[in-house]
Amino acid sequence: MRPENYEAQRQPPSNEFELNFGPNHPGIEGNYALKVKLHGDVVLEAQADGGYLHRGFEKLMEQRLWIQNIALVPRICVPDPSPMELCYSMAVEQLCGLHVPQRANWIRVMQLELSRIAAHLFTFGGHAATTGMYSTMYWGVADRDLVLDLFEEFTGGRVYSIYNIPGGVRRELPSGFLQRVSETLDYIESRLPDYDNLFFKNQVFVKRAKDVGVMTQEQALAWGVTGPNLRATGLAFDVRRDDPYLIYDQLEFEIPTEESGDAWARTLVRRHELMESIRIVRQVVEALPDIHGPIRAPIPNPLAWNVPAGETYTRVESSKGELCYYVVSDGGPKPYRVHVRGPSSMHAVQVLEKLSVGSRIEDIAQTMFSLDACPPEVDR
Amino acid sequence: MGSIKQIPVVEAKRTNPLARVFDDLVRFCRSRSLFILHYCTGCGAIELPPAMTSRFDMERLGIQPMVSPRQADILLITGYVSIKTLKRVILTYEQMGSPKYVIGICSCTVNGGMYWQSYATAKKLDEYMPVDLYIAGCMPRPEAVIAGLQQLMDKIHSGEASSWEDYYRNYDYYLGNQQKLFGEDWQTPTDVISEAKHYDLLSEGTLGDHTRLLEQHQKPLEALEMRLGHEQEEPAK
Repeated sequence: MRPENYEAQRQPPSNEFELNFGPNHPGIEGNYALKVKLHGDVVLEAQADGGYLHRGFEKLMEQRLWIQNIALVPRICVPDPSPMELCYSMAVEQLCGLHVPQRANWIRVMQLELSRIAAHLFTFGGHAATTGMYSTMYWGVADRDLVLDLFEEFTGGRVYSIYNIPGGVRRELPSGFLQRVSETLDYIESRLPDYDNLFFKNQVFVKRAKDVGVMTQEQALAWGVTGPNLRATGLAFDVRRDDPYLIYDQLEFEIPTEESGDAWARTLVRRHELMESIRIVRQVVEALPDIHGPIRAPIPNPLAWNVPAGETYTRVESSKGELCYYVVSDGGPKPYRVHVRGPSSMHAVQVLEKLSVGSRIEDIAQTMFSLDACPPEVDR
Repeated sequence: MGSIKQIPVVEAKRTNPLARVFDDLVRFCRSRSLFILHYCTGCGAIELPPAMTSRFDMERLGIQPMVSPRQADILLITGYVSIKTLKRVILTYEQMGSPKYVIGICSCTVNGGMYWQSYATAKKLDEYMPVDLYIAGCMPRPEAVIAGLQQLMDKIHSGEASSWEDYYRNYDYYLGNQQKLFGEDWQTPTDVISEAKHYDLLSEGTLGDHTRLLEQHQKPLEALEMRLGHEQEEPAK
């Protein structure tokens, strides 16, 4: 297969070498690459190499109508798309001064938390596969599919729901839907002890993940780490509680934390968050039948919708961390500027580069999956 | 850039009467044991874990994922390909052993999909490599992925899935499009023309203006540079 003019060159004797890790590699999450410098199998230096998934979202959004962007934004983060459309809708609502009906807010919370459950189950599956435990991967993907079935029923889409629009949600819940939600939640909750025995308490996993990719709380704050990764270092910060949006201030839930800040702690925080999300959805399922009213505030003709000039900044807690939108309008039919502050661009670039140093090459996958970075969101 | 030239394919004369039976048997076996190299180029990759695992279960069709391009049969392009990714996709495609099949999943591989006006993505995949089958949708459900794979199995069995031969027969066309996108000095480590000769697929579309341009720019491939503080040393000749 080599061309005839190919000649291998003699290399200086060395036990240090460079490897391209990814983009087509089973140990890396999605289409993403690292250039690692190794001594034996210990990483001396890692350099993130993104851009494989760049589509120019922020430029594309300037060229489309306000309402068309709703279909575009979920594509930014594929495993957890619901917070994207919600955060963008919230920004447009703030610019227009729209008042969202109460019932829409409750439905939105249910959608967000179901999306978080699905994203966490998927992450457990991917993380377990990096330690060779494929049963957990099969279970995680299969249980996530049950949540996707719910999504399909009430939004019409399995993965990309495109359910939130500025002003509310697109359609009313189907009859008997809440019953099916609580049945699915019961099932997922009954599975969690099995997951504990198979994965979270499994010595194969604990020994691989403990003391891998350790970061302290000071480092986490300095590097812009948010979400479960920050809570794994002992700081109980959650946008849902500390800067509540929608109706999160009316709900009861805990902010789980861990102290050690390693890959094991980050995964355990997600495991506890899964329980809290189930608890939140249960509260919504209980309260929703008593909340009547419209699901959508009236909006002007969306094809000729000039949003008033101004700028706004909204933030929500996605399953990966803090997700923010900065939206500027010049009073026209299209956004003037949209900036997406995604959590993964911090986690997958600067944090992963620093945490990989000193670990062995097989632990890079552990670090990356425990950080739960989402490559499409890094590149946007 | 002209369209693909149509070259009459001359059927090899089979003297052995059993040859047809053997060919059919080989194609049947080939279609029942497929290894997928799925290069997660885009969002469509998220529907592949459900399709591969217990719920939809691709393995009952004899289809399994494979991590190395050298041992894979199918290249799944799961979604939009940015220009940076497209270079890797072409490298991967040329590394795969023939016969090889390409499936474009999601609308983005057909005509650009959601990103039709994006500056960063390649819009039509079949300008850069031959595609056997498209599965349209944004994104296609696991059922659609499996139905598409079954269709590919039928095509392999009937002998229609021969896009890999097109790559050798019309290499000049594909190389020209690649050069237009990546620049004149684009080259891959694979010698496609020698492979075309090896498979006896060299035709009038294989060589042309673009392959002559490739020859001009072709540089000897250097072994991977090791930039680890040895820059001051003279490279060994």
